Amino acid sequence: MRVPFTWLKEFVEIGVSPGEVADRLTMAGFEVEGVDSVEGEAIFDVSVTPNRPDCLSVLGIAREVAAITQMPLVVPPCRISGSLPDAGFSVDILDPDLCNRYAGRVISGVTVGTSPEWMKKRLEQCGIRSINNVVDVTNYVLLEMGHPLHAFDADRLAGKKVRVGTPATVRGRNEPIAVRTLDGVERSVPPDALLIWDAEKPIAVAGVMGGQESEVTSGTRTVFLESAYFESSSIRRTSRGLGLISESSYRFERGTDIEFLERALDRAAGLIAELAGGTVHDIVDAYPVRYVSHRVVVRPERLNRILGTDLSRDEMADILRRLQIPAEGDGDEIVVLPPPNRRDLKQMWDIAEEVARIYGYEKISTTIPRSPLSSGRSGKGARIIQQIRESLRRAGFSAAINYSFMNSTSLDALGIPPTDRRRRTIAISNPLSQDEGLLRTTVVPALIANLRLNLDRGMREVRLFEVARVFIDAGKTLPDEEWRLGGIWYKEKAPSLWREDAEGFYLVKGAIEMLFEELNVRGYDFRPCSETFLHAGRSADVVVSGSCVGYIGVLAPRVVAGLEIKKHRPEIVLFEIDLDRFLPAVPDSMRFSPLPKFPSVERDIAVIVDEQIPSSRIREIIASFPTHLIETVTLFDCFRGGSIPPGKKSLAFNIVYRSMERTLTEGEVEDLHERLVEHVLELTSGEIRR
Amino acid sequence: MEDLPSLKESFLRESSSVRALHDIQALRVKYLGKRGIVTEKLKALPTVDPAQRPAYGRAVNEIKQYIEAEIARIEAHLREEEYRKSLLSEALDVTLPGKYTPPGREHPIQHVLSEITDIFSSMGFEVGEGPEVELDYYNFEALNIPKNHPARDMQDTFYISDDVVLRTHTSPVQIRVMEMRPPPLKVIAPGKVYRCDADVSHTPMFHQVEGFMVDTDIAFSDLKGVLELFIHTMFSERTPVRFRPSFFPFTEPSAEVDIGCIFCSGNGCRVCKQSGWLEILGAGMIHPKVFEYVGYDPETFSGFAFGMGVERLTMLKYGIDDIRLFFENDLRFLRQF
Repeated sequence: MRVPFTWLKEFVEIGVSPGEVADRLTMAGFEVEGVDSVEGEAIFDVSVTPNRPDCLSVLGIAREVAAITQMPLVVPPCRISGSLPDAGFSVDILDPDLCNRYAGRVISGVTVGTSPEWMKKRLEQCGIRSINNVVDVTNYVLLEMGHPLHAFDADRLAGKKVRVGTPATVRGRNEPIAVRTLDGVERSVPPDALLIWDAEKPIAVAGVMGGQESEVTSGTRTVFLESAYFESSSIRRTSRGLGLISESSYRFERGTDIEFLERALDRAAGLIAELAGGTVHDIVDAYPVRYVSHRVVVRPERLNRILGTDLSRDEMADILRRLQIPAEGDGDEIVVLPPPNRRDLKQMWDIAEEVARIYGYEKISTTIPRSPLSSGRSGKGARIIQQIRESLRRAGFSAAINYSFMNSTSLDALGIPPTDRRRRTIAISNPLSQDEGLLRTTVVPALIANLRLNLDRGMREVRLFEVARVFIDAGKTLPDEEWRLGGIWYKEKAPSLWREDAEGFYLVKGAIEMLFEELNVRGYDFRPCSETFLHAGRSADVVVSGSCVGYIGVLAPRVVAGLEIKKHRPEIVLFEIDLDRFLPAVPDSMRFSPLPKFPSVERDIAVIVDEQIPSSRIREIIASFPTHLIETVTLFDCFRGGSIPPGKKSLAFNIVYRSMERTLTEGEVEDLHERLVEHVLELTSGEIRR
Repeated sequence: MEDLPSLKESFLRESSSVRALHDIQALRVKYLGKRGIVTEKLKALPTVDPAQRPAYGRAVNEIKQYIEAEIARIEAHLREEEYRKSLLSEALDVTLPGKYTPPGREHPIQHVLSEITDIFSSMGFEVGEGPEVELDYYNFEALNIPKNHPARDMQDTFYISDDVVLRTHTSPVQIRVMEMRPPPLKVIAPGKVYRCDADVSHTPMFHQVEGFMVDTDIAFSDLKGVLELFIHTMFSERTPVRFRPSFFPFTEPSAEVDIGCIFCSGNGCRVCKQSGWLEILGAGMIHPKVFEYVGYDPETFSGFAFGMGVERLTMLKYGIDDIRLFFENDLRFLRQF
């Protein structure tokens, strides 16, 4: 809110510079976000928090300045008294719970024209356009005193009658009604919104905007000036519903002063008579629901314990009185009677804040809490995720963070079938764009987008991973949130200093295996997988402790083609791990195994087998051989071509034999190895490579 | 005897031109072999005049020993030379770069999240969690932000339905933890939050760290102490800290916490909008309404809560000027951390 310094000085004597006032307001909770200098006049831009509608005016800010600087606040009396002509209008509040008070005055015989320069200038300084002297007065008083007013052309009000009620109450029908507001827009107002009516029709949307038909124009001779108290949440509902926010609705929905509204009415009526001529009539005032101050009893001892201060009862009461909050010390208590402009003061804590901020937060000491010792060590899941991040970084993957949004097109692009779990998406009802309309069920689309961005920016190698939650609609109120680890790998085939001839698939698989090894995860397996967006011959499910926890694979050429990546046959490898399934497989603790006391014997076996037989099959065959003397089996060669017939490959394993009880003899191992080789050849229909 | 000096001279002359191991072998044969010059001299000893024989014998033996030692020395030298040469023939260009997989980098947001978490962990705060898709009740209602309350304007909310939102802050974790457990509590809750806002300084998703502490005697001065300790650890011992009154529906009294601008040391610059201060935290004493929602007695317990935006801290820490860089995942950006 904009507050001209000179206007402020009309209500409180200020002996310090504008900059000093700005600092002190900021430190009392009214952040001055900037001080503009317009034609040599300082204008504050004050940020007023939603709990302090009483400060949405020059007078309100002046009250704070007076309290902070301990100078008196001067509020002009501006009451109209004496015998005045009768208003000739009646006011009828039909929904008193939504309108606690409605007051009005008629000013007859006015001449609508332009406002004087001093008024135009102040309105302009506060960012309000001058319209005519009557409307300008209502805006001026709004800025000055914070109470919204509305001026009707009284001659256009049928039946000299003002009624306040919702369409439902007034018409007895639960239907919306059309009202054309001042801005020329015809609006359909819902049946529960509060309206102002004359004897026949709605003339204003209460607290939000007046109707066009009863607008004050150059031809207006008689003005009906409204000053009312509307219930805040009703105004907010109407304002949001209509998508219409005005200076009035902004204040009404935060809360206004039901007692002070009379003074604002008189101030405006007096100004209109002064600037537009005319006669002010007697007040009409319907006040069915009186303001009752709910007293708050404060124990200074408790308040000091909450703040960590050592203020006396009288010091506290004095601070409150400086803020014009009636407070009396009574024994070891303070009785506070919140005034009608401070409906935010409901309990001791609210009083604590008032005392603390005027006393000064900076004067409150800093202490270290006395509280029992506790361990701040993070849980198992968090620690493992930290290890995963470190392991992947060592493998060359950098951490990405993507938005949690996606769209269904990106699932289509991956060919995710309609029945897939990843199609059980959660939609955002007000997304920023349709591209970001769903919560993601997989991290893959975002990683592919990251890859594209990096390729567009000339990167030749991309290795990224992300740990994030995905969101699956499980038919409950809240979706299932599952932790995913995803990664993407790409490397341009380009000459490089050192040869690296492993396929990308194996490099990424190696990173996953290294991760498993670091976490002491044993018993994992890579099996052919059926993800639609992966290369059918170059992808695998990752199986840990018998359950599938994710996949790794080369992005299918058909999907790659759709990405319009300007590279020749790029090799893109993806992986995704369901961490909620994987983490339980990570062991908590390790056991030591005794070191062997007897020597080992090594033998190699090289077999030529059909291309279709996976190396893991031969491992399984070796593992199933009935002996406990095999310690390790290492695949050390996989060879095609040369003397190997087409459609075949040669696999060579190194086998370490060892007994934990004795030294094996050469003959014993020779015999065992021979039988093992036969066993392998028999089960694979392979032949020995010589 | 007069021929012996010339023998030594000739040996010296010949040995000084030896360059290879086979030359030294030839020299050995020539002087010390079965028919070598020195051997021949020794063989001829009986023919020498008996009166001079002992002296002559000694002189020949001296020469023999001298030549043997010289040949051994030269041979050792040549062998050493040859070994060095063979190593140099296998020389690598040690200036060529080594082979390694360049390590990946941690995301700057994660760096700062970890740093914040570590500092509070060391003060005994445990890490709490809550869902990112949250009930309106936890995100607003139980935090004393009822429907149709102006405080809702402070946050632009993504809605899933009338009752379900993308959490706009990490504060709902407060409610979830307090509902589950009685005090004393010391918890921080880092995580993603969402607001429907996107421009140069706002992204629809960002990170916050919420923290709170509840016990029988927690005061506003404790909040000041804990946050000051945090800021001094995170930034520096000398960083000025200021607590300014503010408003949050779920705290009372509320504060915003500023640090002295780290770019201009408080003199005023573009980053701090000439104020000399940077706002980095919101905080306050937990509102008694919140305690009532979770069934704590506000007369018995008190506590404080605070929340901070991780992107802002990260931008300050590394001098990053565009928040959108965090979510583009451009490797030229990520590799700097």
